[in-house]
Amino acid sequence: MSEKHIESGEGHIGIPGYIGVFLILVVGTILTYSVATKDLDFIFPGANTLVALLIAFTKMTCVMLFFMHVYWSPKMIWLSAVASFFWLAIMFAYTMQDYLTRGSGVFTG
Amino acid sequence: MATHVDSADHYHQPGLQHQFEDMKQQEESVSIGMWMFLVQEIMFFGGLFTVYLVFRSRFPMAFAAGSNHLDAFWGGLNTLVLIVSSLTMALTVYYAQKGNRNMQVILILLTMFFGAVFLGVKTIEYGDKYKHGLVPVTGWNLKVKADPAHAAAEGHAQPCWEHGEHTYVNPRGEFQFPDCSMAKQAFDEQLQHPKETHLTAAERIGYFSNGQIDADKFRDKVRIFYWIYFVMTGLHALHMIVGLGLMTWLLWKAWRATFSHDYFAPVEMSGLYWHFVDIVWIFLFPLLYLLGRHFMH
Repeated sequence: MSEKHIESGEGHIGIPGYIGVFLILVVGTILTYSVATKDLDFIFPGANTLVALLIAFTKMTCVMLFFMHVYWSPKMIWLSAVASFFWLAIMFAYTMQDYLTRGSGVFTG
Repeated sequence: MATHVDSADHYHQPGLQHQFEDMKQQEESVSIGMWMFLVQEIMFFGGLFTVYLVFRSRFPMAFAAGSNHLDAFWGGLNTLVLIVSSLTMALTVYYAQKGNRNMQVILILLTMFFGAVFLGVKTIEYGDKYKHGLVPVTGWNLKVKADPAHAAAEGHAQPCWEHGEHTYVNPRGEFQFPDCSMAKQAFDEQLQHPKETHLTAAERIGYFSNGQIDADKFRDKVRIFYWIYFVMTGLHALHMIVGLGLMTWLLWKAWRATFSHDYFAPVEMSGLYWHFVDIVWIFLFPLLYLLGRHFMH
């Protein structure tokens, strides 16, 4: 976020940095696959999905910060990126609070 | 405002549009415009992820069964292919900022190559779904008439949860999913542990008729998964095709050495788009291909 890089938008982490981010993404992909084959339901039901999403969010953050240069971008870009996920969270939350609180089925008491 | 004219005493940078004060202001305006577009793309895909969330929370076992029929090898390979293309795209922007024409051209060609590989793999996958009756539109699957010699031997004596290998018979090209073992698995666990929730309220209605597993009802819930799979991956593939169009345009501009330290916004903005499409796939891969993997024992 250092201001000096914003001039001409040239902020970047150099070729070793880009390769580093790339390797993180590859490791994340392999990890996603190997974790998906293990049954994590003994922790709590749905733990597999949570772990998969955590890895996906980490990968996304790496891509956005470094490949998409958000790290060196003006505050307005940070705000746009964060706000979009905030609205997404509202959409998920209000949709699910409807669906998860509807009447239960004929088999349940 | 209209005083911005080229003259001997006013240096006008080659890439600067007349409505902007300087390159920095132009760069920031272009970035914000592109990010506004990406934000609405997030909301657009977000609507589809909401559909996924709603239906998966209602019919988790049907989703797991459908997902396990996707090939995680091809999905994983495509994830890696897209990550490599994201790296080559990021390096394209890097070399555009440096004004290195040859590296730009090479890296744009590599990005296009990996984009094309991705679409090629997707074609193989879609072809596979077509051959196995997994396209959720009647008539859009491979049509195979029943062979009378085999028809008698096949029969329908087996319950759907013991459905093993079968010959593909699909005279009208309908969506097929004869294997209901995931519903059976959850049903048995529910009977053993009545106090736990192994079947959701929607599943208790959605998979059964008169207390028995209904193969047709289960198939229709798996069909919902395949609808979501085809709409989401199809729209993602459409974005890849648009991205390849952008790359073709960039290649032409880079070939003519348009970009330099002062003017590289088209490369950077196309890069943002390309990385966005990569991010969507980062979520589609685990959510579509891997969601039911841990049920396979």
